[in-house]
Amino acid sequence: MSIRSSRLALALVGVLVAAAPTLIAHHAIAAKFDESKAVTLSGIVTDIDWKNPHVHILINVKTGNDVINWAIELESPIALQQSGWPSDTVQVGDTLTVQGIAARNGSKQAWARSVVMSKTGRQILMVRNTMPPAPLQPRPTPRGADGKPRLGAAPGGVLGYWAYPSSTVLVEKNASIGMDASGLLKNVADADKVAPMQPWALALYKERQRRFLQDDPTYLNCKPPGGPRQFQQPEGVQFVEDPVRQRMFLLLGGGNSNYRILWMDGRGHKGQVGGDDDNPLYYGRAVAQWEGDTLVVDTRGFNEDFWFTNGGLPHTEQLRLVERFTRSDFDTLRYEVQIEDLGAYTRPWSTGWTMRWVADQELPKHFCQDNRP
Amino acid sequence: MRTAIFRVSLLVLCCAAGGSLLAQEGHPLKGSWIGTWGPSKAHSNDIILTLNWDGKVITGMINPGTDNMEVKSASLNPDGWLVHLEADGKNAATGQAVHYVIDGKIDNLAFRNRTVTGTWKGGAESGAFKIQRQ
Repeated sequence: MSIRSSRLALALVGVLVAAAPTLIAHHAIAAKFDESKAVTLSGIVTDIDWKNPHVHILINVKTGNDVINWAIELESPIALQQSGWPSDTVQVGDTLTVQGIAARNGSKQAWARSVVMSKTGRQILMVRNTMPPAPLQPRPTPRGADGKPRLGAAPGGVLGYWAYPSSTVLVEKNASIGMDASGLLKNVADADKVAPMQPWALALYKERQRRFLQDDPTYLNCKPPGGPRQFQQPEGVQFVEDPVRQRMFLLLGGGNSNYRILWMDGRGHKGQVGGDDDNPLYYGRAVAQWEGDTLVVDTRGFNEDFWFTNGGLPHTEQLRLVERFTRSDFDTLRYEVQIEDLGAYTRPWSTGWTMRWVADQELPKHFCQDNRP
Repeated sequence: MRTAIFRVSLLVLCCAAGGSLLAQEGHPLKGSWIGTWGPSKAHSNDIILTLNWDGKVITGMINPGTDNMEVKSASLNPDGWLVHLEADGKNAATGQAVHYVIDGKIDNLAFRNRTVTGTWKGGAESGAFKIQRQ
């Protein structure tokens, strides 16, 4: 390698590193694509990029006398494979018709809502995401030998996890605000109705909204979705109870497949391994106890390096969560959370939603990858 | 040359990783800031500023450990992200007390390595400054 080419290579690395934070890497759909820019594209496949976090198919679309290469973005390889679409579903040279929404920045990229193989007329590459049907009669809450509800596997070892949250956004209880599933407000002027934010937090939240959540570190840098957000991920959560050591593991399908430990041995918030004032955590330090049939989890010690909601509500290290888990029947988990953070909010506030039991399955796998579109 | 390339590459990658590790999504002023202020006869051009937010008040220190000055008052106006700081120090040459007033604006709010640029006044001296969050 010559000195000149070495310098060029170094300069390129430097430029890429410097530019990385501004690129639209792994992202919420609304961060990159505009719901109001519907497109229909027909063209011939020129390349297939079957990689995390999003699959891309490049197609040549004839427009008048010009041929324009569009990048069609799809869900992750794992989500597609789980829905029955292997990587060879589409081949270079196939002709596709795509309906979707175009990129906000005007580049020739589209998020696919429908992909149809022209030669068969068959719709392909769509992810099945159907909530399991509810039983005709609610099944009773499973209980352990101690009479307490089991939040994880039912006695007898039946596997399962919790997913399909009834809400994927964090909004104060009883507030009615137009917002999409990723937490993007339909009208930024409604921001002050979402939660009782301090002025700086409200202004920061509005700024994140105006930028269509494209700075979300959960997508941009694979930062864990700590706080209530972990219960609003499509991949769900799984409880693994460990009564011998008086603790419960909470496994996350989303994020980076992280886990929390809920300590149930009566300890306080001091002296726990991993996480203190000098080393706050993405998921905080959690101590838990049963109050009747509800598991109450008190979590503190969060860091400020992540967004704790899908819509970008700010928080500080003063964040304390009091979470209440109630398995009201076999298939329903009620999650309620009180948010205390006087660093960002003017008073404590609360909200909640339900999750559905997905039986006989382990948590889905999800892999985040930095700085891939 | 190859060793030099390796070292520079490592440095660049470490800087990139450091930016990611030290991301701060809370109060926009909280953290450590490094930059320059000047020109001035009485002070170095380099400045280190540490700021904290307790939920009510912004506190901090200018050049901690050297010619440190406690931030006496600080405010952040989210309408335009305007920053105002005041601190009391001494003129290194004369030993006279100097009251510093610093006004700036946060740029690149969304980025972890956001900056504050503006002006400062201290006694008869004044100048411009720019600091970047570490």
